Amino acid sequence: MISTLQKTIRPMWAVRRLHKSAIQVLKHPVPEDTVTASFGKFISEIKPQHLSPIVLGRSKRMVMDSIGVGLIGSTTEVFELALQHCKYMYAPDEISSVYGRRGTRLSPTLAAFVNGVATHSMDFDDTWHPATHPSGAVLPAVLALSDMLPSNNKPSGLELLLAFNVGIEIQGRLMRFSNEACNIPKRFHPPSVVGTMGSAAACARLLSLDHSQCSHALAIAASLSGAPMANAATQSKPLHIANASRLGLEAALLASRGLEASPLVLDTVPGVAGFNAFYEDYVPQALESPNDGGHIFLLEEQDMGFKRFPAHLGMHWVADAAASVHELLVGVGPGTVSPAQVQDIQLRIPKSKYINRPYPESEHEARHSFQFNACSALLDGEVTVQSFTPAAMSRPELLALLSRVHVEHPDDNPANFNLMYGEVEVTLVGGDILKGRCDTFYGHWRNPLTNESLTKKFRNNAGTVLPLEQVERLIDVVEELDRIGDCRALLSQLQ
Amino acid sequence: MLRKGITESFGAAIHSVSAAQLTDGVINRSKRMILDTLGVGLLGTRSAVFNKALAHSQFMSEERSSVWGKSDITLPPYYAAFVNGIAVHSMDFDDTWHPATHPSGAVLPALLALAETPPGRTSGLDLLLAFNVGIEVQGRLMRFSREAHNIPERFHPPSVVGVMGSAAASAKLLGLSPEQCCHALAIAASSAGAPLANAATQTKPLHIGNAARQGLEAAQLAQIGLEGNPAILDMDRGFGVYYKDYSPTAMLPDSASGGFKWILEEQDVAVKRLPAHLGMHWVVDAALAARGKLEKMVGSVALSQIQHITLRVPPSKYIDCPLPATEHQARHSFQFSACSALLDNKVTVASYGEDQINRPALRELLSKVTVETPEDNRPSFDEMYCEVEIETDQGQIHTARCDTFYGHWRKPLSDKDLVDKFSVNASSVLCTKGVEGVIEVIGDIEALSECSVLGSYLRMASSPHEQLYSMRYL
Repeated sequence: MISTLQKTIRPMWAVRRLHKSAIQVLKHPVPEDTVTASFGKFISEIKPQHLSPIVLGRSKRMVMDSIGVGLIGSTTEVFELALQHCKYMYAPDEISSVYGRRGTRLSPTLAAFVNGVATHSMDFDDTWHPATHPSGAVLPAVLALSDMLPSNNKPSGLELLLAFNVGIEIQGRLMRFSNEACNIPKRFHPPSVVGTMGSAAACARLLSLDHSQCSHALAIAASLSGAPMANAATQSKPLHIANASRLGLEAALLASRGLEASPLVLDTVPGVAGFNAFYEDYVPQALESPNDGGHIFLLEEQDMGFKRFPAHLGMHWVADAAASVHELLVGVGPGTVSPAQVQDIQLRIPKSKYINRPYPESEHEARHSFQFNACSALLDGEVTVQSFTPAAMSRPELLALLSRVHVEHPDDNPANFNLMYGEVEVTLVGGDILKGRCDTFYGHWRNPLTNESLTKKFRNNAGTVLPLEQVERLIDVVEELDRIGDCRALLSQLQ
Repeated sequence: MLRKGITESFGAAIHSVSAAQLTDGVINRSKRMILDTLGVGLLGTRSAVFNKALAHSQFMSEERSSVWGKSDITLPPYYAAFVNGIAVHSMDFDDTWHPATHPSGAVLPALLALAETPPGRTSGLDLLLAFNVGIEVQGRLMRFSREAHNIPERFHPPSVVGVMGSAAASAKLLGLSPEQCCHALAIAASSAGAPLANAATQTKPLHIGNAARQGLEAAQLAQIGLEGNPAILDMDRGFGVYYKDYSPTAMLPDSASGGFKWILEEQDVAVKRLPAHLGMHWVVDAALAARGKLEKMVGSVALSQIQHITLRVPPSKYIDCPLPATEHQARHSFQFSACSALLDNKVTVASYGEDQINRPALRELLSKVTVETPEDNRPSFDEMYCEVEIETDQGQIHTARCDTFYGHWRKPLSDKDLVDKFSVNASSVLCTKGVEGVIEVIGDIEALSECSVLGSYLRMASSPHEQLYSMRYL
């Protein structure tokens, strides 16, 4: 840490001689010169005018998509379970809206919790690089918090959007502290690590905490971070996002009451792990003050991936590859694909245990199965929300195809969302071989969904629980979010 | 690496273990732990961190479970477990085990909160059994890793195993099926793991508070059918993520006797005499002994005589703090504890107050301390020692060493001293009837038909007037 400081100060030494006492200060860095303090300062100093047009545009797309997947997610079993738990295990506290449930309100942290469950319940929410699901951890918390703030002091749409972007930015910055974070995770599920921190940062921003409180909010959140990968592909996975949202909000609220934690949580202290407890390699970097001008949000440089169907991001590559093979098959014969035509299916995919499942037994496992998504797309030409229903999952034609799948992990196919590809090679009974390959699926950040496609996804999702006019109002409100004076225009449309 | 059936064995064991399998040794030890935990929790309700957490939790109105030491506040069980857990660990005064963790604070607040929710009807024996399940599971989990045997560096152990213990205990009390017990563990695992950096800060007590509440919630969610990974303990990328080396084994009944081998039977806990990190207890005993030697030589000790102080302690960064600025840092400072002992010839609860920390005489002594970490001083609560060496301005050297402090599992507190510690602590917030009521109830808890009476004693707060004047020193 000290050598990093010296590196940044050296150019100054070259220019002029430093006063002796300042040199002594360098040898014993003032607590404020830490990475942790720089994050606290950034969160407290960032203002709406620091948001560029690109960042505004991209983040509004994220807000809309997140609300949409949250609304359709409110129809799932895991959401219902979480909602019942919150209603019956806690005292009634009618403050913050629950997605898609008119008249149902909960205390803010519980609303953040259930809306977070909804958002991630179908694995339909956005994915970033390095890998995490950033919006689901942040949006439910800032919405719940906005409902909590007094009516004479509601945030404007722009303030809400700023807080949201702070939550995204902090997550992005933290993930860049580690090379491990760049690959598909093996140990901790990233939303549970950086998501909690993002939520805490966003809520601290919305509460206008001072820089010291913002720091403490991050530190308190660190003690609430971290869930193992083993619960991915189970019904509990959505709780990782839900808890990130809820606990990050709590961390900010506790910090606002004066709770203090480690002032070095993001820094590296030998023998005492802070946030680096969650990573094998960790090199933190301070955040520059936004007031110096020239701060560029990561979202400006690295766009978001949006999913076209509710499954793990990796599935989108093989689905697109298999869909192109389906087109070829349908082109030469009758309108449907039959297992009888297929002798063998070879998938070339990156090596990642938790998404390699030959025979998924639940919808959660199916959303995390290269094999399942490839076969569904091969059979139907696409994967949709309906592909994961029990009826669709138990089709004999699908099971027949699944039994013919073999999997290969080529060396040039790394487990990394920025570098991987998916290849599907189908050997037909006659001996012909049809091949499909996808390097960049439609919806990936290199090939982003158009606004039309994204809005269509939103209409399909939101329309499952809201009336059409309300769906259209929501689209308009989010489009205008940065110009709206009172965020209640948005909050009132969520249920 | 997938080993089959370990998680399953845990689920089955939690579900089927019965009160009949509690041995006398285990019953006695666990009752002592319960009493000590209640006492430190009651005392802890006077701390700043507790009051912040309470204000935070009260934002959610009404309902059901007791807040220890408060006659007029109840909270939903999740938040009652949270604040009471924080109270227990607020002053670092709660029990410590080997391998290292603070087992009781993660479990007892969750159980008491649950016992007060409908439909009620929890007997004392039900509570005792569930408590021991929570302790046992923690002990088992820590034995899955060599890393767990040493003073921690990465994750704070209560945040890793504590939440699992709370989930297991709560699952037991709720009478969950073996499968549900497995899922409770899996759900809890996703809430485990807080970094050590927050130790020695005001947030450390939240590690225990969060363990208690999140374990409780995991069991409640499992009860209504939420499922997680049923092989959570078997997998390296399950519970194994919290350790560098991980080698789980199944939890099976004792094949020979058909009984159940409790870890607590073989490995007792340490009960603290001071509200400070366990390591401090060694250095205080050594410092007092060294001071005694100096006094014997010179008659009366004047601090100006002390030229230099050397401490020989095990290597552990988070308890090596030359100049603590807060009470939390002071509780995690070998240097502070040694100097307090040398200055006052005693160390008590009051020694860690903010006013005591900033005394000029103390700061002066602190500036004379150096710390050494000898090769043979291992960072393990089972093996460490502390040596204090005083060098006088006359050039004389007085050294004393402590291998086992009074209260350590090798030298447990007597029952009388344990009850005394409880009385002093509890009297800071409860009236005499409440204090004596708790002692009586815990003393005979196996015979208690319904736990609600315990809750009512814990709520018998003395008047604010009385509390103002109850400042007894240990």
